[in-house]
Amino acid sequence: MSVLKPAVGTAATRFAEREYQICITARMVEDSRTYWAAIGGGPLYAILLAKRLYAPQAIYVTEDGVIAPEPVLPLDPMITGVASRPNYRALMWSNMNGVTEHAQLGYMDYGILNSLQVDPYGNINSTWLGTYPAEGRRMNGPGGADAIASLCWRTILMVDHQRRKFVSRVDFISSPGFLDGTPDARERAGLPHDTGPWRVVTPWAVFDYEEGSHHLRLIARAPFVTVQQIVEEMGFQPRLSPEIEVLELPTEEELLVLRAELDVRGQTTGVGRWVEQQEDGTWRFWQEKGGPLPF
Amino acid sequence: MNVLAEGTGEYLRVDPDGHRAWVREHKSRALVSKLMSEQEAVSRFVQDGDYIVWDCTEVVRGPMSLVREIVRQRKKELWCAGKFTYVIPAMLVAAGCVSKADMGFFVGWGPAINRATHEGRLRVYEYGNTVMTTRLKAGAMGLPFLPLRIQGGTDTFRESGAKVVQDPFTGKPTIVVPALNPDIAIIHVHQADLYGNARVFGTGIAHTETALAARKVVLSAEEIIDTEEIRRDPGRTSIPYYVVDAVVHAPFGAYPGECSGYYASDPERVVEMFVADARDAWDEYLDKWVHSVASHEEMLDRHVGMGRVKGLIQRASIKEGYRP
Repeated sequence: MSVLKPAVGTAATRFAEREYQICITARMVEDSRTYWAAIGGGPLYAILLAKRLYAPQAIYVTEDGVIAPEPVLPLDPMITGVASRPNYRALMWSNMNGVTEHAQLGYMDYGILNSLQVDPYGNINSTWLGTYPAEGRRMNGPGGADAIASLCWRTILMVDHQRRKFVSRVDFISSPGFLDGTPDARERAGLPHDTGPWRVVTPWAVFDYEEGSHHLRLIARAPFVTVQQIVEEMGFQPRLSPEIEVLELPTEEELLVLRAELDVRGQTTGVGRWVEQQEDGTWRFWQEKGGPLPF
Repeated sequence: MNVLAEGTGEYLRVDPDGHRAWVREHKSRALVSKLMSEQEAVSRFVQDGDYIVWDCTEVVRGPMSLVREIVRQRKKELWCAGKFTYVIPAMLVAAGCVSKADMGFFVGWGPAINRATHEGRLRVYEYGNTVMTTRLKAGAMGLPFLPLRIQGGTDTFRESGAKVVQDPFTGKPTIVVPALNPDIAIIHVHQADLYGNARVFGTGIAHTETALAARKVVLSAEEIIDTEEIRRDPGRTSIPYYVVDAVVHAPFGAYPGECSGYYASDPERVVEMFVADARDAWDEYLDKWVHSVASHEEMLDRHVGMGRVKGLIQRASIKEGYRP
């Protein structure tokens, strides 16, 4: 079975990597499943794009206790919780402890998260870059990611495809993956049974976790990169699935929804690396600097 | 209970009986007016060295007029819950008000936070947002701790006050977190009567738990309403009067953030805060927004103005759910 749902629309030839990453994630989303999505950025856009094109009956919740909203789009430039536009027409307004308890009860099928740094076992760093606490730089902390990564049945992680993001050891484990990868490591640490990382989505590839070893494993690649390129841009060697599927390109329809309805200011998707197919079929990459807002 | 693992982070002392004794002695059950200004509320109820919690952010329904007053009065040595917030901790650190923070989520990469961390003026303990709200919930229940199933095995756990214990009922490893009973809570609400019965509309982070858990509670309210209105729809009361010590009438108290249903956020002015943090320009920011004016009212008059305020009200087009 294919990793993703078939893409809706006509293949595009010019797009930002982060746009593609959102499209890939959206094609994983299933109807009548619950998703706890990080409040802004890629994870939120992935679930919203999925609801437009792939899974209109998918349900999502956010950290401030919103159950199944129908947000007013586009969202304000400062995408945040508790605000009236993202929380519009929900089925329930709870609060942070409320949605956490729902997840702890087992009602959240999937979590969708961003990560600054990730290791082979899906452990996430969002706290510190460098040697904690003496040298380096503090970052923003786990926020709600620790709860999402601990409590949802399956966690989908969105990571930029860069060597410095895939490291053999994260500088600080902010939120739990499979910890040291040993069987039952999560249960021994007090986390619920049968939970943990499920997929990692980059703009170049999709990974799952090898059964038994809980080690990251490449299962699909973008058509514009080779397996070798994917592995060279990682700080460790992932396992390779015997069959590596080639993903479909983003489509004009997906990009239209993203650009015209969701991220209309390009805050999330307009920055970073872009990709374009040339006349001769080869691919060109370039870096787009900065966005319209400083965060 | 058999302790299987424990974090090494310092945490605010857990003392449910001490909290009960405080409630017995200091929390009046009388229906008396608690209406006062930001200046009086902060001066009377925020002491140097307090553990402080606020609910929400500078982007939506944060108690911003009270936060600015704390800076204005140059409170010191505060320990803050930095959960579900953005640059308020950085602002309070830059202003010299905060020296310890429990992390949940705040903008931590800026120069003010990093300089203070490396110079030893700021100590941060590691938690996540929902772990912090669970700690507040334990505090709000009058209990010493609560079990939960988040964060085990992480470095966050190691740098926190949490423990893993063998649950006496299932025999399985379970995480427990220490109750948090902050010294002071500051919360912005939509409506309150003069006794402190308060209504919050829409979602929130943990306003009810925070108010119940705290020793001292200062509310700022967009509207002061009659107690008769509270009695007409008691299911709407989010915070009961006897936990509240002060009620400040603060229209646009969440500015530059949104107060859902009442007014939208002022993006340009929210960005001004983020830029101040990114560019290490908090002194300049605070001179303008805090120290150049004596009060929230004067700030609104001089730096915001009726024209701008009107635009924010007009942009708050969604009313459903934000009125009784």
